[in-house]
Amino acid sequence: MTDLAIGVISFPVLLVLIFLRVPIGLAMFLVGLVGLTIITGDTSVPLARLKSETYTTFSNYSLSIIPMFLLMGHFATLGGMSQAVFKAAESFLGHRRGGVAMAAVGACAGFGAICGSSLATAATMSRVALPELRRYGYSGGFSTATLAAGGTLGILIPPSIVLVIYAILTEQNIAKLFLAAVIPGVLAAVGYMLTISIYVRLHPDAAGTKARVAMAERMKALVAVWPVLLVFVLVVGGIYQGWFTPTEGAAVGAFGTGLIAFRAGGLTRLTLADSFYVTARSTAMIFFIVLGAAFYNGFLALTQLPQDMAAWVGGSGLNPWTVLVIILVFYLLLGCLMDSLSMILLTIPIFWPIVQGLDFSFVSMVELQSARLADLIAAGTDAPAALLAQAQSLLASGQELSRDMTREIGLRGVSDGALNRINIERTAIWFGILVLIVVEVGLITPPVGMNLFVINAMDRATRITETYRAVLYFVASDVTRVILLLVFPIITLLLLPL
Amino acid sequence: MHAIMEKAARGFAVLGGMVLSGLIVLTCLSILGRMLNNVLFSDAVQGLAPDLAATLIASGVGPIAGAYEIVEAGMAFVVFAFLPLCHLHGAHASVDIFTSALSDRTQTVLRVLTALVFAAVVTVITYELAQGMMSKQASGQTTFILQFPVWWSYAASLVAATGWAVIAIYIAVARVVEFASGTPILPEQAEPDR
Repeated sequence: MTDLAIGVISFPVLLVLIFLRVPIGLAMFLVGLVGLTIITGDTSVPLARLKSETYTTFSNYSLSIIPMFLLMGHFATLGGMSQAVFKAAESFLGHRRGGVAMAAVGACAGFGAICGSSLATAATMSRVALPELRRYGYSGGFSTATLAAGGTLGILIPPSIVLVIYAILTEQNIAKLFLAAVIPGVLAAVGYMLTISIYVRLHPDAAGTKARVAMAERMKALVAVWPVLLVFVLVVGGIYQGWFTPTEGAAVGAFGTGLIAFRAGGLTRLTLADSFYVTARSTAMIFFIVLGAAFYNGFLALTQLPQDMAAWVGGSGLNPWTVLVIILVFYLLLGCLMDSLSMILLTIPIFWPIVQGLDFSFVSMVELQSARLADLIAAGTDAPAALLAQAQSLLASGQELSRDMTREIGLRGVSDGALNRINIERTAIWFGILVLIVVEVGLITPPVGMNLFVINAMDRATRITETYRAVLYFVASDVTRVILLLVFPIITLLLLPL
Repeated sequence: MHAIMEKAARGFAVLGGMVLSGLIVLTCLSILGRMLNNVLFSDAVQGLAPDLAATLIASGVGPIAGAYEIVEAGMAFVVFAFLPLCHLHGAHASVDIFTSALSDRTQTVLRVLTALVFAAVVTVITYELAQGMMSKQASGQTTFILQFPVWWSYAASLVAATGWAVIAIYIAVARVVEFASGTPILPEQAEPDR
């Protein structure tokens, strides 16, 4: 059997193990270990790797962002921030038709800005919002569906743990990925609110009414959310501005929310130990999957499978859009069965080389030259004004500048290689956001979406089938958004400077 | 027995949590030092109070040297210290929709097998980590900036990893005994949180 054949067989074997309820990290670790042993013909190579690889994986500086963000999300809850965000959203939206549900979505988006995990956001907001929804006469299934869908905003709106993992796997800039997720995240929240307003028109008895809140009270509620805003701006803004690395940003966020929780009286010895337990379980779970994935991917790389598949797809003459849509549909199906983090760790090393080879030509040479020329002029240059004007008019008419001309002007960073790098980076970011959304749809897709179970378990009076029926509207909203982002990549890439 | 394991796992988790908190504070102090340092070197401060700036900079106001290395070394310990609790509570991510269709007996057998393999894997990981530590000790490798021996951080991780291996073996033995005697030892798995 060739190495390639072993690589190809390993994937179904892995899936069978996972579906036999073997922990995902363990399954990947085992298949990687056995595969490496078969390929190298002896156990010494994989065991030698183990000597240092476990340690280096766990001590990875970029990954240390994960426990910090997890702790930050927990501190935020202890500091009453989830409560404050919901109260503020409710005071502005609550009196509308379906307004309390809209407020729950808004609060999920707000809390997602300080929490990087989908299930944590869904569970935390449910504790706050479910009782309120039921009090104002919102039907059980509609309430749980709203919160399950709202929870997926936690992973989309930065900071996001899954985006951190994706950035590491594809060697992309975390700050740029966070920035790119902002518009799709806001779009998701708006889409969910629209969905709610359609739902309550189709099912008028699914939502009760709530009295309008006076302006003074609204302002008071708004003032109470300043810590959330402060933490978000400091962490995401600071990372993007280059004040600190993503890991440092996470440390600042965890420290800040810890301080806020302490000031609010939510941080005692007992709750602190509890935050450690929750953080410990989630952190260990994530890192063990990362370790398993590192082993499995190390094995796959040796079989040459990812490279061969990428070369085959590249040479097959398939339309890049067709390939992309097939991959996204695959994610949608698998996303119903597996959590997003495991899926991304499992599949990105296979799919990214393929997608990297697809040409979507986001940026043309003319656009790149125009952007660099504008930078040059803004920075000041001693190139002759007549030459600059000529270059500008050429670019305006859609013509590329010749190499001689760029050299004469002193235009830098406009080589074919630079253009290629920019296009690959944009493909990576756009693809990452699309994958993130698609796997999140899996989280709320009946009958297996994990968010549905977590939320439904918190409301014993509601049957899961009622949640299923209502959540389909939100799934429809998600699918619409994926199509929008797919057809108009610019929505995702708008905030990224050229 | 289970109470002791629970206590030990929680102890490791709290220890890991405290180290994590320490790393967070250290990182924040380092950022603060770097920012103050930038301010002290800025034109405004250099123009207004050059002596004060020079004194402060000389007294060590700046980023903490090697903070990066401490975070890396500490984080490995944190993750290893977090693993026992995750393992004991069965919080590892898995897919259970397909197995729920199988008979109770088949599910039990699968669970026993998984626990046994898992215990073996964790033991191998811990053993190889010890081997790795010894080779770092023998080579005398030190970190780049702080120059502390790399094997120290391996040793710290090894302590926690041993705890993880003990828990994994305990779970495997408990599953086998449960299977043989038919009486439950381990509590029903709680809802996974992540």
